[in-house]
Amino acid sequence: MKKAITAIIALVILALMALGYYSTAQHRAHSQDSELNPKETIFEHLGDAYGWEVPFNHSARIPLPIIVKGQDGWHCFMSNRVTGGDTYEGYRISTSEANHGKVVQVLADGSEYRPLDLSITKNVAGIFIAAIVVVLLVMTLKRWYARNRLKAPRRGTGMLELIVDFVYGDTIRPILGKHAAKYAPYLLTVFFFILTMNLLGLIVIFPGGANLTGNIAVTMVLAVLTFLITTFSGTREYWKEIFWPEVPMMLKCPVPMMQIIEVLGMFTKPLALMIRLFANMMSGHMVVLVLMLLIFIFTNLFGVAVGGGTAIFSVAFTLFMLLLDTLVSLIQAYVFTILSTIFISMAIVEPHHEAK
Amino acid sequence: MELFTPEFGLVFWMFVAFACLYFILAKYAWPFIIKSMEERADLIDKGVAYAQEAKSHLDNAKAEADKVVAEARQQQAEILRDAAKLRNQIIEDAKGEAAAEAKKVSDAAMLSIEQSRKESEKQLRKEVSEIALQIAEKVLRKNVSDDQAQRDLVDKYLSEVETKN
Repeated sequence: MKKAITAIIALVILALMALGYYSTAQHRAHSQDSELNPKETIFEHLGDAYGWEVPFNHSARIPLPIIVKGQDGWHCFMSNRVTGGDTYEGYRISTSEANHGKVVQVLADGSEYRPLDLSITKNVAGIFIAAIVVVLLVMTLKRWYARNRLKAPRRGTGMLELIVDFVYGDTIRPILGKHAAKYAPYLLTVFFFILTMNLLGLIVIFPGGANLTGNIAVTMVLAVLTFLITTFSGTREYWKEIFWPEVPMMLKCPVPMMQIIEVLGMFTKPLALMIRLFANMMSGHMVVLVLMLLIFIFTNLFGVAVGGGTAIFSVAFTLFMLLLDTLVSLIQAYVFTILSTIFISMAIVEPHHEAK
Repeated sequence: MELFTPEFGLVFWMFVAFACLYFILAKYAWPFIIKSMEERADLIDKGVAYAQEAKSHLDNAKAEADKVVAEARQQQAEILRDAAKLRNQIIEDAKGEAAAEAKKVSDAAMLSIEQSRKESEKQLRKEVSEIALQIAEKVLRKNVSDDQAQRDLVDKYLSEVETKN
């Protein structure tokens, strides 16, 4: 039985590979520019898009809604009207240097105007898919408790509980103490959202494949939220330590050196959160893409034989990188959560100097 | 670089998605999950404590049972000893009583024997004297009053018999 399943899976993979090869060959034959542009390919995959790619097809995209507010008001249409290079209601996807790949409005004088773009792009759709996945996962766990009070969950639900317990029981509660219950919903949501986005990003086909946490807008929102929570829950002691820290007078009075450092610290902490997650996830994707592109670069340079040899190494390293990325996904989600927890715990600090 | 400039649309939707997610989960899921997990942890802790208590109770119960058994053994031994003593006592008493009874009986028997002996003696004497008298009569009939000496002899013999008895 197991052997049969393995054989079937292997056959399916082989068939998909053959199909992919066939469609690529056809695409090569039909398209004019067969020139490989690694940089463009990489940034196309890392960046956002107005449609969602379909496996083994270079032109077809799952259409997504485009919502823009140009100079003539709001427009809403499906992305398949413009992805082919067409212009629809005066809008098209720009190919100019400044607005490359973005929807722009073509004005009467032929110049491009960048509208307010609230389109459901690939990344936005990916974010919503991730959010739905998180809701489903967490609600599964909740339903378990609602139905089987005081019974330990099994299998998948048990694994979820293990993760919740790992994040809440071993990280949030020990660090925040009696404030844990207040901040735990935010921190747990952040953890599960990041983890889901990370892992979905590693799945190459729909509904995965969107490089979500490797996009600075996504990490920025999360970091800003942590910054806002930290700032607004800051106690008197927290602000006192920023503006009048207990250091020798000459460090803070004539020249407010410590104050400058502390205020800068307020902003560098969330900034570090933002950059860390973004860079880690993006670099993982980038390494995989570069390894894959090596096959085509070497094939172009030295011929099919060398390219085939490279393929073996590339696939082996890609597999290794993807496994590593799976680990990194978990670690980065955890690091973001634990650092947010620590920043919050630093903000809700109680006076501790009286003890001296 | 496009990669490092956050897109406004994406920021907007990300914020909306996260806000929705947060409000759904914070309202309906996390507090309940955390509460349930903590309740279960408490239950398990309590269960362990209860089990330990029960175990110590059990150990105590064993010791107590052993003590009770030992006491019972001691009591049993005492009772047996008392019973043996009582038995011996009863036997002794019975023996004494029996001896006394037997003595009484034998005394009475002796008394009656003595009495009957005395009686028989008396009887015998009477008979003997009668026989003697008869003998004497016969003797007398043969030698009526002729021989004083014979008469004296008979008398003498009779006295002898009497003293012999």
